[in-house]
Amino acid sequence: MTQPLLQTTAVAKTFGPVVALRAVDLSVAPGEVHALLGANGAGKSTLVKILTGVLRNDSGTVAVNGEPVVLHSPTEARARGLAPVYQDPALIRDLTVAQNLRLTGVDPGDVHRELAAMDLDGLDLDEQVRDVPLPFLRMLDLARALVFDPQLLILDEITAALPPDLSERVFAIMTRWKQRDRSVLFISHRLAEVREHCDMCTVLRDGRNVASFHPGQEGGESQIVAAMLGEASAGVRDVARERRAARERDEEEAPRLVVRDLLINRQDAGVSFEVRAGEVLGLAALEGQGQDRLFEILSGNVRAAGGEILVDGQPVAARHPYDAIRRGVVLVPSNRLMALLPQRPIRENIAVPLFNRLRRWGPINAGRERRQVAEAVTRLSIDTRAAAQARRLSGGNQQKLTIGRWLAAGFRTLLLFDPTRGIDVGTKHQIYDLIRELADGGAAIVMFTSELREIGLVCDRAAVLHNGAIVAELPPTASETDLLTAAHGLEVTAV
Amino acid sequence: MTATPTPAPKAEVVTPLPRPSSRLERFVRRQGWVVGVALLLGVLVLWRSSQIPAFGAFEVRGIVAGTMTLALLAMAQTVIVISGGIDLSVGAMMVLTNCIAARLMLEQDLGPVVLVAVLVVVVAMLLSGLIGTVAVVSGVPDIVVTLAASFILAGLALIVLDGPGGGTHPRFQELLVGGFDEPLPATLWLAGIFLVVWVPFKRSRLGIATYAVGSDRAAAFLSGLNVGRTRIAAYVLGGFFSGLAGLVTTAFTGSGEPRASIGATATLTSVAAVVLGGVALLGGSGTLLGPMLAAFCLALIPALMLGLGWDPNYAEVARGVIIIVVVMIGGLLQIPRRAR
Repeated sequence: MTQPLLQTTAVAKTFGPVVALRAVDLSVAPGEVHALLGANGAGKSTLVKILTGVLRNDSGTVAVNGEPVVLHSPTEARARGLAPVYQDPALIRDLTVAQNLRLTGVDPGDVHRELAAMDLDGLDLDEQVRDVPLPFLRMLDLARALVFDPQLLILDEITAALPPDLSERVFAIMTRWKQRDRSVLFISHRLAEVREHCDMCTVLRDGRNVASFHPGQEGGESQIVAAMLGEASAGVRDVARERRAARERDEEEAPRLVVRDLLINRQDAGVSFEVRAGEVLGLAALEGQGQDRLFEILSGNVRAAGGEILVDGQPVAARHPYDAIRRGVVLVPSNRLMALLPQRPIRENIAVPLFNRLRRWGPINAGRERRQVAEAVTRLSIDTRAAAQARRLSGGNQQKLTIGRWLAAGFRTLLLFDPTRGIDVGTKHQIYDLIRELADGGAAIVMFTSELREIGLVCDRAAVLHNGAIVAELPPTASETDLLTAAHGLEVTAV
Repeated sequence: MTATPTPAPKAEVVTPLPRPSSRLERFVRRQGWVVGVALLLGVLVLWRSSQIPAFGAFEVRGIVAGTMTLALLAMAQTVIVISGGIDLSVGAMMVLTNCIAARLMLEQDLGPVVLVAVLVVVVAMLLSGLIGTVAVVSGVPDIVVTLAASFILAGLALIVLDGPGGGTHPRFQELLVGGFDEPLPATLWLAGIFLVVWVPFKRSRLGIATYAVGSDRAAAFLSGLNVGRTRIAAYVLGGFFSGLAGLVTTAFTGSGEPRASIGATATLTSVAAVVLGGVALLGGSGTLLGPMLAAFCLALIPALMLGLGWDPNYAEVARGVIIIVVVMIGGLLQIPRRAR
């Protein structure tokens, strides 16, 4: 048996209270294209950062060619033959491409040669990075990594930002590497790519490697999905099904929010969907399909490249979140600390969106403010022990607070972006209950979730976003496999 | 209910390469602001020259030598701002070096005076490097560390020289800022420093690293740069410029002046010059030439007001308005670019 090129043993990493990696054993053989898979937050990016010297593991060992190594910096990792292409281009926007290359001690001429090998030699290296489109930055990053002629090329979701023709060029490189008896660690959410181009795959879940097998084998794809999702959510109370059964759906009612051919980016096909009062629409998508921007557009933070948004039948051209909020459309963003005032107490956090309603000028009616805040806190059962500063609350309580802000201020349409990311199971269920309760109270809710399970648990309907367009509408009973399949842009048959 | 995944369609569409920009586009994009400031300066100079019947060497020398300190401080501030920091102690550093130089140069021969001059610049570089090190190692924001440092430096200046005094060698004055109708020495010094210090610096690895660190610390780290050392180097270079500013003050006034308010005003004006010169306060972009020219614009405005017969007190108001208007116009011009 040949010695593995890269071997990690029980690698673990925690960030304060958050455990990113519990124990990861990964073994990459020479001449192998190895896929690293896992749901969002499974620990893929943390592992990559450890392998490339950006982070140091708390425990466990990393061995290259059988020799244990401690990597203190990206430079050291490169010297060991590990060269990464990170998820976000590690190029500095204010410099020209050539300057960026010289900075890392890379001769722009070498990069130009690598680009030429990929048929991209028309790219001008004297352009400032900020003026180069993202896909080409990824290709530049790749070319730069290739110049180091690494033994292990680490590609962290490189194809997510690439159009198909450029992806093909990446695959060609991977094949070339394999032929030279070198290895590639390939991270991607696109299972079709993994099946077609990888020799082995390792699936991470909750900071552990849960399975390693050949992805191209019969049933490999469903095996990957099963490993990524873990055991079916046993014993989970099905909030939505209970509620759905109890609810009489009035199809005649006019939709609360209508989105028609909304262009997230100019070249997209456009997003169209409708949400009625009392309905929860679940949005499923892989990373980077435009969901972030879609929510920003709906909440009036960013203007769309085209298309229409109707709230209660009236077209809205929100120029500012205030316009959207006035029409009752409010956003709970994924980054909770972005929505909250982290240094301020719970009371003020809840009261800020209220100010617009309580009083236009002059002092705020303290009594009325206190009453409304107290109501929201009880209704959400927020743990008020750390009431003095929102940032000291736990993630779950912060999330309740971001929803609670709007509860006190009142809203008609709620946009939830991944509302349970990084929250413990118990609080998750409180939030599911809350979402259903709000819907029953007459709110229209659009919820993006990276946990497909939640679609079945909370939503009345699922829409799948792929490449800036809704590619499928599925019933909430659709299996996670179907959702994931649709999210990969593939046909779901026999629904 | 079954799902049949079909293989992903093969690539058919060819993504077009981005259109390469022409030299002119690139020049406008990267140097446009500096050209704009240069034009503004040209207008101001013409205006000023039309106010004075005999605009000649005497006036030019007055403008150049009188603004040299501010220009040097603006350069000090620029380097540090580009690296992602801000230095609120440049003015105090100038005052301190002015006092040290004036005290040590008093009644000395030219030889020792030049030696003191070199020494003073080295001291400024060391002190500034120390301030930068504290900011980098402690992780305390630059603005806090340098503000505190400005009090320390101002105090030291008063210890060195407890009131206006000291002196220097007349020949040293002539060498640095020229006689009353010799604009050449001051101009040459400024141009020389720009060409000998800045141009090679900007092309060097350290120079590129300075821009990189100011633009995006995380990405710079991922590129394998030593972020801390680069930031400290920017402070050292900043110290070089503010030390020179202190020397020029000594040469221009022929004495030392430890008043702290001089330093504080000079610091704020240096920040104004940086902003007007097109250097982003967030770091990572801009050139040294812009703030240098902007310093002259800022210095010319009060003189112009005076020439118009306005109350000189309004000059400050005018300066403020000009900074806001210019930066606003620049911002508006850049909006189409951001939308790309």
